[in-house]
Amino acid sequence: MADFEEIYAQYSPQIFRVCMGYINDKEQAKDLVQETFISVWKNLSGFRNESKISTWIFRIATNNCLRALEKSKRVMTTELPFHLPDQPHEETQEEKLAFLYNCIAELEETDRIIISLVLEDLPQAEIAAIVGLSAVNTRVKIHRVKEKLATKFKAHGQFE
Amino acid sequence: MDNLNDIRALWLTAKTDGLPSSDEMLRTVKKFRNNRLRKKLTIIFVALFCAALEVATMFVYKSTMVTTRIGEALIIIACGILVFTNTRSMKRFIDLKDCSNKEFIEFLEQTRRNQVYYYKKTQVLGMGLSSLGLLLYLYETASISTVAFIIAYTIAITWTLILWLVIRPRSFKKQSRKLDETLKKLENISKQLN
Repeated sequence: MADFEEIYAQYSPQIFRVCMGYINDKEQAKDLVQETFISVWKNLSGFRNESKISTWIFRIATNNCLRALEKSKRVMTTELPFHLPDQPHEETQEEKLAFLYNCIAELEETDRIIISLVLEDLPQAEIAAIVGLSAVNTRVKIHRVKEKLATKFKAHGQFE
Repeated sequence: MDNLNDIRALWLTAKTDGLPSSDEMLRTVKKFRNNRLRKKLTIIFVALFCAALEVATMFVYKSTMVTTRIGEALIIIACGILVFTNTRSMKRFIDLKDCSNKEFIEFLEQTRRNQVYYYKKTQVLGMGLSSLGLLLYLYETASISTVAFIIAYTIAITWTLILWLVIRPRSFKKQSRKLDETLKKLENISKQLN
C-alpha cells in the first residue's frame, strides 16, 4: 500500500489547484486540501484498489469542494484591472492566473470541477469515474465547458 | 492565449509552495478527530445513559401508580428514538466510502431530506413522548402534598412550554431555512449531473 507521505507529496499540488479552481480562494482551498488528506489518512488502510488511487483522491477532494456549498460561502470573483485604456500594461502571470480563476468561478459547480480535472490532464475515463457521468456524457460536458471557457476568454479579449 | 494548452500552462503556474510539508500534514491529520461523528456519538451515549438511568430507577424505586410506569416507559421510548435515529444517521456516514460526485450529491440530498423529516416529525414525536412522560412520571411524587404538586408541576409545565413555544420554534426556523437553502443548491447541482 502506498505511503501517506508519498501520496501527499505527489497529489497535494494537484489537489490544491483543483480546489483553487473550484473555490477561487487560497485559504479555503488550503482548508479543502487539509480536509481531503484527513479523509485520505483515515481511509487509506481500507482502500481496496477498486479504483485507481488518483481517482479515489480526486473524488474525495471534489466531494469536499461540493460540500463547501453547505457552508454558504460564495465563490469569489474579483474585479481585475484588465485593459485599462490609458495605461496599457503587460499582464503579469499572477494577473493572468487570477483571470483564469475568475473565468472558472463564473461556471456552474460541476463545470468548475470538470475543467479543473481537464486542466490537470486527467484522462476522460478518469474524469467520468470521478464525476459519476457516463463516458459519452463526460465527453460532451468537457467539450461544452471548454467552449464556455473559450467564450469567456474571448469576451475579455484574452484570445490573440 | 489561444488554446487549451496555453490555458493549461497558465493553470500549472499556480504556486503550491505555501502548502504544508508532508510532515506538517501528517501531524495535523493525526491530531484530527471527527467532530461530526463525535457529536452524534455523544447524543447516542447521553440517550443510552438516560434510558439506563430510567430503567435502574424503575427497579430501585418501586412505583405504585400506573402513571409513573407509563411516564418511565414514554421517556425510555423517547431515548430509544434518539438512539435509533442517530445510529442510523451515523451508519450512513460510515458506510459512505469511495463515491463519485453524483453519488455524493445524492447522499447529501438524502441526508438533508432525512434532517428535514427529523425536525418535522421525529423530533416532535420524541419531544412529545418525553414531555408527556415527564408530566406523568412526576405525578406520584408530586401528589404527596399540594405544595409539592404545585411546585413540581409549575416547573415542569413552564419547562415544557418554553421547550415547545420558544426553543423548538427558534431552532426549527433556523434549521429549516438553512436546510431548504442547502437542498435548493444540491438540487441545482443534481440537475447539472443529469
